[in-house]
Amino acid sequence: MRKVKEPIKKPWIWIVMIAILVLGVPWYFPDSAVNPIILGFPLWAFVSVIMTVVLSWYLSYLCMHEWNIVEDEEEGQNGEVQ
Amino acid sequence: MNDLTFSGWSGVTILLVYALLMLGVGVWSYLSDKKSGTNMQETMSGYYLAGKNLGFVALFFTLYATQYSGNTVVGYAASGYRMGYAWWMSVPYMIIIIGGYLLFAPRLYALAKRHDFLTPTDWLEHRFNSKAVSLLATVFMVWGLGNYLLEQLVAIGQGVQGLTAGTIPYQVAVIFFVIVMVIYEWLGGMKAVAFTDVIQGISLLVGLTAMLVGGFVLTGGHFGEVASFIATNAPEKIAVPPMKVNNQWFSMLILVGIGAAVYPHAIQRIYSAESERTLKKSLSRMAWMPLVTTGVVFAIGIISIQIFPGLDKMGSEQLVGLFANKVAGLGGFYYFMMLLLFGGIVAAVVSTADSVLLSLQSMVSKDIYGRYINPSAPDTKKIKVGKIVGLIVVAFLIYIAWNPPGTLFEIFVLKFEILIQIAPAFMLGLYWDRLSKWPVFIGMLSGGALAGIMTWTGHKTIAGWYGGVFGLVLNITICVIGSYLVSMSAEEQMKNQKTSAL
Repeated sequence: MRKVKEPIKKPWIWIVMIAILVLGVPWYFPDSAVNPIILGFPLWAFVSVIMTVVLSWYLSYLCMHEWNIVEDEEEGQNGEVQ
Repeated sequence: MNDLTFSGWSGVTILLVYALLMLGVGVWSYLSDKKSGTNMQETMSGYYLAGKNLGFVALFFTLYATQYSGNTVVGYAASGYRMGYAWWMSVPYMIIIIGGYLLFAPRLYALAKRHDFLTPTDWLEHRFNSKAVSLLATVFMVWGLGNYLLEQLVAIGQGVQGLTAGTIPYQVAVIFFVIVMVIYEWLGGMKAVAFTDVIQGISLLVGLTAMLVGGFVLTGGHFGEVASFIATNAPEKIAVPPMKVNNQWFSMLILVGIGAAVYPHAIQRIYSAESERTLKKSLSRMAWMPLVTTGVVFAIGIISIQIFPGLDKMGSEQLVGLFANKVAGLGGFYYFMMLLLFGGIVAAVVSTADSVLLSLQSMVSKDIYGRYINPSAPDTKKIKVGKIVGLIVVAFLIYIAWNPPGTLFEIFVLKFEILIQIAPAFMLGLYWDRLSKWPVFIGMLSGGALAGIMTWTGHKTIAGWYGGVFGLVLNITICVIGSYLVSMSAEEQMKNQKTSAL
């Protein structure tokens, strides 16, 4: 039987999430950070795009791997063996 | 969206096909229920939450189609055009909604199954056992949802009128789609809403893909050249955003991340999941959807800066129409794809509106009629009251949409600012035993009042920070400080712990 996991219980989850969010907002760039243009994005926006993809991946990961409360119970009821 | 080369009767046809599909789903839901003998439409949980049995496909698409409306396409492309690259913010702020869910959905899902919650207020009642908190939260939610529905009804009218170049007038469009929506909703409840969402979500995705392909063709695939064009001709749209915009960006992350996750219809989708596995799988896929939804719309806005330079604010609101017109002009295949796009936009509005209406009805059935007026009524009667009141609300909103009051119109603008004020009661209430009812009540009321006053007095933002965020901060502060000040017996605290324990 797997351990019960609830995201709210782990502070690191939220620290990492806030870090990704803060880094995704372009407040720390100098005005010159427009160049180079990468794949049609100015540098500052490109960094933001990367952080956005990281955010999607991270949240998707958390849903699947850091959340397990009643799943074992439910899947057991459904007769599925995990 | 008034001068489309492909408008007219082909637009009317696609909308009719679409309406027939929706009605078909409604009839199917009704008949399959009758055939299986489950009588789902006769119980509250069956009608409003599809028997808490939505599988992955239906749950994923109902989350998706409900979250993204027609405005996500039409309005967001215009914002991208006006704001430039800083509008990228619309992608992370739609993604972080999943972070908002992670704050409370795992526990709420488990509790909702155990205690058979139907509406968001059921949880508040269970936790605080306070008429004041339940009633205030219900009023906020009904008010916020009503305004949200009004916005969707207006969007249906404008979208359809635009798509058919006025062949179907605004009023006819609204009435027609409201009738279609109400029929399939009355027939099949949440089951019909979720399964029409599958069709609506797919239509939106097809439309967005068509748009992206069109954009690619129009620019010859040279997205880098678009950036160079903007750097030369509209440098402010590519520059590193000023602090005010960055503050706005971050405050949108907070506002949308928390606010959209606690939308009543969003919470009811948590309740409707067939299993925890289904719910987390759906949410984990949803975390990627903004990249292919608001991300694509952002790209269209940016490309349009080069294709349609110099549009003013009003002009930029017509951007999607102009863009579609240009793409449709490329030839038959593109013409057809753009038709699908407009079908997708209208589908996106209807799919949001139906979920909002159903949620509103459920609150009338359970939280108002069922809690205060006639608690002993059978489920069928409660559902009937919800349906009829829902219809009256829609009729009233249609009236407002056509006769906007000269004064106090702002009452109908508040949505997010108000809805987000129930978040502390939800989230803190789940995990903090000390949180007590009066601070929650006063916090909710003060937060709503502050956000409302800021909006009404024309101070929607201060230094880029939204009124809703200020209201939320005030709300949380009152909840926390107030709860420390109110004395709570060990027994009471123990009781609170039990209500939210897993």
